[in-house]
Amino acid sequence: MKKIIIIGGGIAGMQAAVKLSSLGYIVDLIEKEDDLGGQVKKWKKIFPYLDESSKIIEHITTNLKKSNVNIHTNSSISFVEKKSNTFRLISNKNKHYEADAIVVATGFDVFDAHKKEEYGYGIFPNVITNEDLEKLFHSNFAEWEEKKPEKIGFIHCVGSRDAKAGNIYCSKVCCVTAVKQAIELKQHFPNADVYCFYMDLRMYGKHFEELYKEAQERYNINFVRARLSEVNETIAQKLLIKVEDTLTSKPMKLTLDCIVLMAGMVPSKGTQAIEKLLKLNIDENKFLAVKQPVLSENESNQEGVFIVGTATGPKTITDTLNDASACALAIHEYLNK
Amino acid sequence: MKLEGLKKIWKEYQKEIADNNYFYVRSCVRQNFFPGSETTFLRIMKEELGKNIYENPCHTTCTAIGYHGDIIPLDTVMTVVARQFALMTESGYENLVPSCITSFGLYTEVLDTWHHFPEIEEKIRKYLKKATGREFEKPKNLAHASDIIYKFCKEIAAKAKYKLINTNTGEPIKVVDHIGCHYSKMFPSKGIGGAEYPYVLQGMIEAWGGEIIDYPERRHCCGFGFRQFIVQANRGYSVSCSKKKFDSMEQYKPDMIITNCPGCPMFLDKLQYAISEMEGKVYGENGHGIPVFTYEEVAGLVLGYDPWDIGLQVHQVACEPLLDKIGIPYDLSKKYLDVNGGCLGKPEKANVLKTY
Amino acid sequence: MKSLVENLFDDIRIKEGLKACINCGTCTAICPAASFYDYDPRELTVLVQNKNEQQLKNLLSSDYIWYCGECMSCKTRCPKDNVPGLIIEALRSLSQDTGLFIESEKGRQQLYIKRVIGGWILKYGYCLYLEGVGTNTHPEQGPVWDWRQKNWSETLKRLGANYKGDGPGILRKIPEEALEEIRKIFDETGATARFNKIEEYSKKKAAEMNLEFGDGLDNEYFHHISTHNSNKHNRE
Repeated sequence: MKKIIIIGGGIAGMQAAVKLSSLGYIVDLIEKEDDLGGQVKKWKKIFPYLDESSKIIEHITTNLKKSNVNIHTNSSISFVEKKSNTFRLISNKNKHYEADAIVVATGFDVFDAHKKEEYGYGIFPNVITNEDLEKLFHSNFAEWEEKKPEKIGFIHCVGSRDAKAGNIYCSKVCCVTAVKQAIELKQHFPNADVYCFYMDLRMYGKHFEELYKEAQERYNINFVRARLSEVNETIAQKLLIKVEDTLTSKPMKLTLDCIVLMAGMVPSKGTQAIEKLLKLNIDENKFLAVKQPVLSENESNQEGVFIVGTATGPKTITDTLNDASACALAIHEYLNK
Repeated sequence: MKLEGLKKIWKEYQKEIADNNYFYVRSCVRQNFFPGSETTFLRIMKEELGKNIYENPCHTTCTAIGYHGDIIPLDTVMTVVARQFALMTESGYENLVPSCITSFGLYTEVLDTWHHFPEIEEKIRKYLKKATGREFEKPKNLAHASDIIYKFCKEIAAKAKYKLINTNTGEPIKVVDHIGCHYSKMFPSKGIGGAEYPYVLQGMIEAWGGEIIDYPERRHCCGFGFRQFIVQANRGYSVSCSKKKFDSMEQYKPDMIITNCPGCPMFLDKLQYAISEMEGKVYGENGHGIPVFTYEEVAGLVLGYDPWDIGLQVHQVACEPLLDKIGIPYDLSKKYLDVNGGCLGKPEKANVLKTY
Repeated sequence: MKSLVENLFDDIRIKEGLKACINCGTCTAICPAASFYDYDPRELTVLVQNKNEQQLKNLLSSDYIWYCGECMSCKTRCPKDNVPGLIIEALRSLSQDTGLFIESEKGRQQLYIKRVIGGWILKYGYCLYLEGVGTNTHPEQGPVWDWRQKNWSETLKRLGANYKGDGPGILRKIPEEALEEIRKIFDETGATARFNKIEEYSKKKAAEMNLEFGDGLDNEYFHHISTHNSNKHNRE
């Protein structure tokens, strides 16, 4: 029976594991954290229907438990070699693995918003990221105690579409996430003024435009076509931002209580490490390079090494699960050549 | 403000600053408006730090004010810059230290352009050779004079006779640091601390006992704007820019402003006077205004140099309140004397701004 | 003959300063000129990007390109690596070299800068040579400046200058050979040509405007361009 090792236990790795197991392969799933679920479990509700992310994770986990996948948490791969068509791998726990194919599902990290110095992240306490906000959603704003912000701004494209930040690509999911989070925030603080500062609103997916419409009509969220230029702190420790409303050609200053930086996706540290270990090519945006755009999105430059999920570029959850299923099939075809 | 966030940024933006054998080129604005500052800079370099700093008397203006006033074409300013490099090479130096921030920005920009477009460097070499017969090497190290003082601010602190502490309250002097736009906005990696949170002046102030205060319009231009100030009809631009800064910093109650660009202290000093005359408004305490200093002056003050040697008498906004706070003695009877102790009369009092 | 657009896009500062503008407004948000003047560096960049010959001609003839203070705050922030400040420099150069600068109130002021700053550079080797420049033309300088002007060389000497002296030092006499080299550089690299153009076009415009034109700083046209402000430049 052919063996497959999947490096990365987020939803891409989990889904690929389920599908490959159902095709009859022996699958080892390696995950460096204590539990599976990767990035998705950090986000309480997911777009576009604001379902609980736990619903998705539970569904895949149930399928995973029903399967024969061997799950290894708190593990990472530190050594790989290939002898004829078989891979030999060793983990940080000194466990040895053998595989006929490797799946790299090491995913993304959120862009380090400290790097956008002029936005004041890590300098002004009331500047938080989208990731920080999800922690607050999970804890029901316990950390904020009595704090009731009256004016909150969402800042799109932080670390994306930005030559100065070193990433010129679009991270795809931040626009709709901003709309989602703005709605959730309004649900929590119904009297607050919520603004979204954007360059473009990428509402390409199913129900995205409807969500945007609801944000405006039902929740009175203000959408301003202006890219944030600079954040300063007032003497009252509020945030003074400088933007130009490009639709009215007016440069303006606004005072807000809190801003949420929509930090984009970058290749994760795990992806960067595996890239070096397996000598994988990277594309112009430093994500893992697919063998052929459109026609072969799961093969890498190394034979027998398959790549899946956000390790190859920004994706939605739907994209990722479909990508993982496609990857499983590609491996199946490869192993039965 | 969270210091850890700032420290992370400052670590990213450190730059190589040569530690001796400097080729010094002067600043047009500094020489006219704050001559004492250049004198003080050279005194500190030679007498306190024992450095070899050389000025070739054949050097000229880099013409950056003309360039940013748009009368000087790009090829011309690059060739003038090349001539300065040629004088540096001929004098046997490779570490260039401009006194002016606009010069520093210009030299950095020219070197960057030549790096990306070597054919332009070739063209300029030909122009220089044809016009003057000169050839040049590019500087190995380019650092602004304030970078040098920053580099040695701890050595200066060790020799300092005074600290930037308010002797009445025991608290650090509250300082607004104003960085010249052409220092790091164009090439953040060429400025200590980068463009958003430059550290070159903050490092000095902290080494000398003071405390930097942040305020919303910290990064805003003082308003020189070259042609916006040079031509009388445009001057409202300069006043508006400086006023925006003063209005923003006022509530933080700064004791003083420190600057590293030659022009900025002139504007921040004189335009407080202008605003007082135009609107009757005086910033700071007791109707005196907020005193504005060059970094050379602050270095000279902490080292115990006589305020009238370093040139504080040419400031419009009175510096004495700050000297009182620090406990630096001064003799008002000697403020307006000439080099031999002879009397030169006294400036008239301003209508609104209280002067000493 | 090259079009205005072709000439503009030959300028290295357009190559360095204009990549592609996506209208995000980051530059305008922190532009000092945009907060006071009816000016928008984003709109300027998009206009230039259009590469429309007539629009460019209008631009070069208008006040619009003369509001920028060249602080370069825009360069620090643009997510597409554009630099409106550099585009402005290229526009101002072309406006003067084609003579279109005289069609606008702000553009005509270039004669002032040429005669004053340009004059000092060629005569003394400094961009500023302020003996005699008093509070009659610069009232913002204040009473301490008046005192300095009264005692110009004494105060310089007090502060360690080598005013008009040989050798190194503050406001030293820059050797004639050095000034001669600067003049040759100006001739060789096009500064002299530009200076002459500024004069020629200004003279023509003065005649059109029926204002007395002369050399130096004391004639009707010169006073007019230095002080006239239509007060139609500000943002509402």
